[in-house]
Amino acid sequence: MKKFNQLAEIHQSGKPYIVYKSQKGFDLYTNFSQKIILNNKNIKSFLNKKNRYKFKNTDLFIGFFGYELLNNLIGVKVPKQKNFNFPKGIFYKPEKKIKLSNNLRYNKKSYESGNFKININKKTYRKIFNRFKKKIKSGETYQIKICTKYKTQSKINPLDFFSRLSSTNLAPEAFMIKDNNYSIISCSPENLITKKGNNISTKPIAGTVKKTKHLNKLKALNYFRKNIKETKEHNMIVDMERNDLSRICKVGSVKLSKQKIVEEYKDLFHYVSLISGKLKSNIKNLEIIKAMMPGGSVIGCPKINTLNLLNNQEKENRNIYTGSFGYIKFNGDMRFNIIIRSILNFKDISEISVASGVVVDSNANHEFNENFLKAKALIDLFK
Amino acid sequence: MIYVIDHNDSFTHNVVHQFALFDKVECDNYNEISEKKIQQASTIVFSPGPGNPRDYPITSKIYKRFKGKKKLIGICLGFQHILFCEGGKIIEQKKIYHGFQSNIKVVNDKSLFKKGKIFKVGRYHSLKLQEPFKSNNFEITMRCLNSKVAMAFENHKEKIYGFQFHPESFLTINGNILIKKILSA
Repeated sequence: MKKFNQLAEIHQSGKPYIVYKSQKGFDLYTNFSQKIILNNKNIKSFLNKKNRYKFKNTDLFIGFFGYELLNNLIGVKVPKQKNFNFPKGIFYKPEKKIKLSNNLRYNKKSYESGNFKININKKTYRKIFNRFKKKIKSGETYQIKICTKYKTQSKINPLDFFSRLSSTNLAPEAFMIKDNNYSIISCSPENLITKKGNNISTKPIAGTVKKTKHLNKLKALNYFRKNIKETKEHNMIVDMERNDLSRICKVGSVKLSKQKIVEEYKDLFHYVSLISGKLKSNIKNLEIIKAMMPGGSVIGCPKINTLNLLNNQEKENRNIYTGSFGYIKFNGDMRFNIIIRSILNFKDISEISVASGVVVDSNANHEFNENFLKAKALIDLFK
Repeated sequence: MIYVIDHNDSFTHNVVHQFALFDKVECDNYNEISEKKIQQASTIVFSPGPGNPRDYPITSKIYKRFKGKKKLIGICLGFQHILFCEGGKIIEQKKIYHGFQSNIKVVNDKSLFKKGKIFKVGRYHSLKLQEPFKSNNFEITMRCLNSKVAMAFENHKEKIYGFQFHPESFLTINGNILIKKILSA
């Protein structure tokens, strides 16, 4: 049986499944024997639990941590916000794994939707922007990311959306979850944790520029290098991620393996670095997650104070946005991304969140538009 | 042992790793200080952090308690904090440096470093020391080449040192040498 038929068949059968980008294609996980809904009480025992490694390719838990859960895990409170009671985190134990190619070949375009509405208009955005700029001047934060949300009523087929998204934008951390009462489609480009044995790395993105006819990869690199604002923003994230890794890594082992390179995506170029280290002995996965999450590049810096500023500002729950999706293998290895560029479908509503950074020399108009640019690739799927 | 006092910063553990190249390091948050560790420490380091020195009265108390008794080192907010405790005014600056690499120069012949030497360093600060500033035994020893803002002080008599820039940043060239020298002073 052809593999893409298998995917379509699993999809048609209605059983929950997850697709996650692998190096050569995608991995599909299904036949879930356990589903663990996480909350503040059970997350620590979930992460500390030892599962016996049976040398199977399904010896893992795969799923996501939402933003609020990750805040609470490091002792940061989120005040009461508008939310639609989406779970704070869910992990699944698959019993079946299938390798898929990059071409998902699912050609059944089908959806119903209204028009997307943004939760913060330009005027309000500017107000928040100016308030945060003052906080930067007084030294309370050095960089902070304002989140805007686009929402619409919808009924979509997640596999249709994911396969169309992947055909135009093959992101290295793309994933899709289809469960009975919700689905997530994401073309996340950002890896937060890759842990194999004692090695760990993180690959933050800071810096985005729109692709045009005249702007190729080399020119984009030049643009970033010459742009002092983008450079400073990126530097800050590099030092912050070095810091987060230093919490859990051996002294002298944290290295900047790739410094400020450009990666190309459908509508934009990103400015990226790779930082790696060797874990201290006896470090538990719970400690790694607490040190690294929520991922700094999508929050701002310094992390704790900036999270508090954001949480007091935002009226709506971020749900999955800036949380992390990935897996924990029974041998302790992990891979997690940062959930950005994603659509959450729940209770017949599709929700897309985006954010861009305020540093001392950013411009409100430019950042507001950058947010839209980031959302556009996803909103276009509804056309 | 070196005791690093963290002010909830996202750079403190870079500081910890840098100092750990030279000695055993312990690190705790400023509001979770261990009396035992602070007694044992030969050097106390005040970390970078958000906000203004006046937001951290606990740190001021620690500084006053151990001034002259242990080696004290301040980085960024820590630098400002020590100067604040010495009567200095810490003010907002017009041009803000976050993630900025700049050239700074040794401007004082009482410095451990050679006068006239230029360092490339990483900076993350909204605030600065208002000058003129005077306090017994404190010398401003480094300044930004362009803005002339105070970048380091040294007090050899009481063994108190501070950097406004971040020696632990990847933007600072030869940061380890700077730390090694003040640790062995």
